[in-house]
Amino acid sequence: MIGYYFRLAFASFRRTPGLGILMVLAVAVGIGVCVVTLTYYHAISGNPIWWKGDQLYSVTLDNWDPREPADPSRPTLPPDQLTYRDAEHIWQSDIPKRTTIMYRGYGIISGDGLNGPLKPAPTTTRITTGAFFPMFDVPFEYGKGWSNNADVAPEPVVVISHELNQRLFGGTDSVGRTIRWNDTPFRIIGVLAEWDPQPKYYDLTTGNFNPAEDVYLPWKWGETLSIQSDGSSNCWKIQDVQTFQGLAQSECVWVQAWVELPNFIARSRMQSFLDNYTNAERKHGRFPRPQNNRLTDVDQWLKVNKVVTNDNRVLVGLAFAFLAVCLINTVGLLLAKFLNAAPLSGLRRALGASKKQLFLQHMVEVSTIAGAGAVLGLGLGALGLAGIRELYERTATSPHPSGVASLLYLNISSYLTAVTLAVVATFICGLYPAWRVGRLQPASYLKNQ
Amino acid sequence: MNVPFRPIISALFRNRAGALLVAAQVAIALAVLVNAVYMVKQRVDLINRPTGIDVDNIFVVGVQGFTKDFDYRAMLDEDISWLRSIPGVIGVTATNSVPLSGGGSSDYFKLTPDAKTGGRDALVNYFHFNEQGADALGLNVIAGRWFTREEVQPPGGTLYAVYSGPIVVTKDYADRMFPKGDALGKVIYGSSSQPLTIIGIVDHMIGSWPVGVDYPTQIMYMAFEPAGPGTRYLVRTQPGLRDQLMRKVEAELGQRNVKRAVNYVRTLKLYQDRSYLTQRNMSIYLIVVTGLLMAITSFGIFALATFNVSTRTKQVGTRRAVGARRRDVVAHFLVENWLITTVGVFVGCVLALAAGHLLSLQYDLPRVDLYYIVGGVVVMWLVGLAAAWHPSRRAARISPALATRTV
Amino acid sequence: MLEMHNISKIFRADLIETHALRDFSLSVKGGEFVAVTGPSGSGKTTFLNVAGLLESFDTGRYLLDGADVSNLSDDERSRLRNEKIGFIFQGFNLIPDLNIYDNVDVPLRYRRMSAKERHERISSALDLVGLSSRTKHMPSQLSGGQQQRAAIARALAGDPKFLLADEPTGNLDSLMARQVLDLLEQINEMGTTIIMVTHDIELARRAERNVHVVDGQISDFKSFEARATESFATAGAR
Repeated sequence: MIGYYFRLAFASFRRTPGLGILMVLAVAVGIGVCVVTLTYYHAISGNPIWWKGDQLYSVTLDNWDPREPADPSRPTLPPDQLTYRDAEHIWQSDIPKRTTIMYRGYGIISGDGLNGPLKPAPTTTRITTGAFFPMFDVPFEYGKGWSNNADVAPEPVVVISHELNQRLFGGTDSVGRTIRWNDTPFRIIGVLAEWDPQPKYYDLTTGNFNPAEDVYLPWKWGETLSIQSDGSSNCWKIQDVQTFQGLAQSECVWVQAWVELPNFIARSRMQSFLDNYTNAERKHGRFPRPQNNRLTDVDQWLKVNKVVTNDNRVLVGLAFAFLAVCLINTVGLLLAKFLNAAPLSGLRRALGASKKQLFLQHMVEVSTIAGAGAVLGLGLGALGLAGIRELYERTATSPHPSGVASLLYLNISSYLTAVTLAVVATFICGLYPAWRVGRLQPASYLKNQ
Repeated sequence: MNVPFRPIISALFRNRAGALLVAAQVAIALAVLVNAVYMVKQRVDLINRPTGIDVDNIFVVGVQGFTKDFDYRAMLDEDISWLRSIPGVIGVTATNSVPLSGGGSSDYFKLTPDAKTGGRDALVNYFHFNEQGADALGLNVIAGRWFTREEVQPPGGTLYAVYSGPIVVTKDYADRMFPKGDALGKVIYGSSSQPLTIIGIVDHMIGSWPVGVDYPTQIMYMAFEPAGPGTRYLVRTQPGLRDQLMRKVEAELGQRNVKRAVNYVRTLKLYQDRSYLTQRNMSIYLIVVTGLLMAITSFGIFALATFNVSTRTKQVGTRRAVGARRRDVVAHFLVENWLITTVGVFVGCVLALAAGHLLSLQYDLPRVDLYYIVGGVVVMWLVGLAAAWHPSRRAARISPALATRTV
Repeated sequence: MLEMHNISKIFRADLIETHALRDFSLSVKGGEFVAVTGPSGSGKTTFLNVAGLLESFDTGRYLLDGADVSNLSDDERSRLRNEKIGFIFQGFNLIPDLNIYDNVDVPLRYRRMSAKERHERISSALDLVGLSSRTKHMPSQLSGGQQQRAAIARALAGDPKFLLADEPTGNLDSLMARQVLDLLEQINEMGTTIIMVTHDIELARRAERNVHVVDGQISDFKSFEARATESFATAGAR
């Protein structure tokens, strides 16, 4: 029977192909706009490490000015980064399974590449503890990361990104080679596979969709080479910050800290560790504000830092208003079409079709239209996403494509969106017209048509 | 022209589902149109604000020393004097951050040395510039003067180094700190209570953050070389020479000193575009979606009018047979359609206001102006008329002879 | 067997009530060929719609093939229509975008029937009406007489007990009309009960029995000498 209904739907389409195409287009444009918007929204609101969502926590402590909060517009929040000394103290704790303390630096890569001396080139650099790689599930193409020892007594080892390895060594296995970072030689011990989590949840201070860094150096090199933060730094206290040592001892915040806490017990132990620490520091005149130490999981971290803006929510609302208009449009067209064909439906009723059968027949026709609209809508969605990527990439300064544009491709969620919307569209568009057809008095359409 | 309103209305009631659906489309379309146009207008205004900077003729050079024996001071002097020697260059300054880029430094300053908090809680965005800073940006100094070469202090150890000495401020900041307008010559104090003397006032400039802060035009300029070992130069050229000089700098600057890398040579316009990227993309998206929405809606009106005409072919033939003129028929359908659109427009006004209210409440957007709604109503009426025009004309072409024929 | 007892059907439009059928009683035996005549507006079409279960009625009882169909649900009436009743219309009412074969297929599609059985039924129905060679034609490619014959094939394919015809020759010229009527008589002789509504007295004469409807009531009924041997029904006043 369903097959028969599909044949009828096709015949109906052939009767008024123009109207059919327009209905499919209306559904397709509506679904297309929604797919683009929701894919975009999903991309920016996604948690790129959802599978460890309940284990990774950002650490923040409120060491700020007693007279005012770090962010006057959101007075309940501590600053979004830590001081160098507090970060180092947290690193000493053995409660977390792993601890990453880190900041972003900036250096010049030089030395010898595959084909002789390299042109000195700037690279973004992350000064971090070695736990970074296993903690954030960073994939390696060659080699591996470094151990805790390499952080404490800094060994001249470096991990570079897939992209930098392409640029310097044409993608070959460069483990064991030496490059110079700000003129200091480092031995490559690992090359990452392609990896660029978006949003860049582990450090949002330089932009929510900044690409991952190209070079990773063991933690203590920061102090050894006096590497200043290339990200954001905030200070409130009058202190001598003319040197790296001064900065490291100051109340300026510029270090990100993340801990891996596998369970609730570890989490509450970590919380008391932080609270005890700040209480102890208060005796030395630090942490003048009320106790406000936080362990924030990734989802919450993205929310607190407003990765999803109000504009984005407006866009989603707009997309659904748009879809509504497209669907209302389609309802109107279907109603016109079905009522135009009412004599045929009356005839079928006379020949013994039940209301249910006619209703089903019309619903099949509607779902065919919605299905075609969904397929076409996905196509339009792909086009729209390509358009948005183009908008973003026109002002890109990074040598490799990255940022939010790299997420703007149709993915599973886009397909799910399209399918769901098609089903919704079928019901919204089809129910009323199909019901109207079922209610027709068959007899009145049989005479003198 | 004789337009029978009562029969039209009763006909509408008989096909009320179709009419209501079109009215609903018109309503939503109007609500979206009004708010979208309003939001786009705000963004366009934001993007088109005067910056106070000669954006189109400035480029930015990023350099970074990396060797251990690197002499940052020497590089600054060498690079700046070389850049200034290029014919067509109007001014060059080193800077701690790039204006309009979205990244920069800010601080509070106090009206008295021992005040506990910043004066009037006014955050200021500060720049470390040299004696050509005003020329390098094309700033307009309206009171006092800009720095001299002698006033420019050598770089500090870090980017947070404390500065004390002469400053220039924008009028917005001056007025914020000294509402009476007597800022020139006044002294304000930094967090270490170090004194800064206002020696000049610039009429206007958008600083590091064109979007996202509520003090984009409160700027302070310090006569200070920015801390190394890397820095940026702002280079302003005579109109039309920018791209040519950028190529020259890119090709030649790097070879002048191998102990540092030239990271990039970019236009200031690129930074500005990047800062407004979200605003611009949002505007483009709003315009595209609203345009599509208007197209879909007018198509819906068109389809309903066509349907109404086609189901009433015989009726129209009869009307014609009993003496209706073509223009009576056209008027009949246009009026019918106008009534539908108007119902939608009324509901749409309410929706537009509600949506505007919601947006202003939830997302801190200013409430939509009423004349946008008036404009939207007129647009929807015109769209409705245009969409119904063709079907109405077709109705007018129905032959009166049709009335006598059995279809 | 088709029995109607005191059927009334009232159309209400605003404040005006129209009695389309009032106290309408009629009994048709299996195998009969009954012509229902009457002026326009007399209620003949309403009678046919009620008889064909297309419309419900307000009061009275209606027995179709022995079963009371007065209070059936819409679905049950659809099923009865499908299985027991075939319709023939003045305007043929073929579906314009289905070919002849598929048109005949329509009522069969609403039954659980194997593709093979449907095919056999369609073929034999089209055979009967002499259109076996036109199965792939679209309705618009056939003459009026052929279209009506196709419609008859469609009505017969479901093997109905009753064939209800509403002015079946109204849109046809006299030659084609005669062919169609010949076909109806042939079908009647094969055992199908036929009830034909017409305003054409000449046409009605060819039926076994005539029922004249005026103002929603049967005014009188009379026999035709040519068929005097047939027994008369006792329909009517009770």
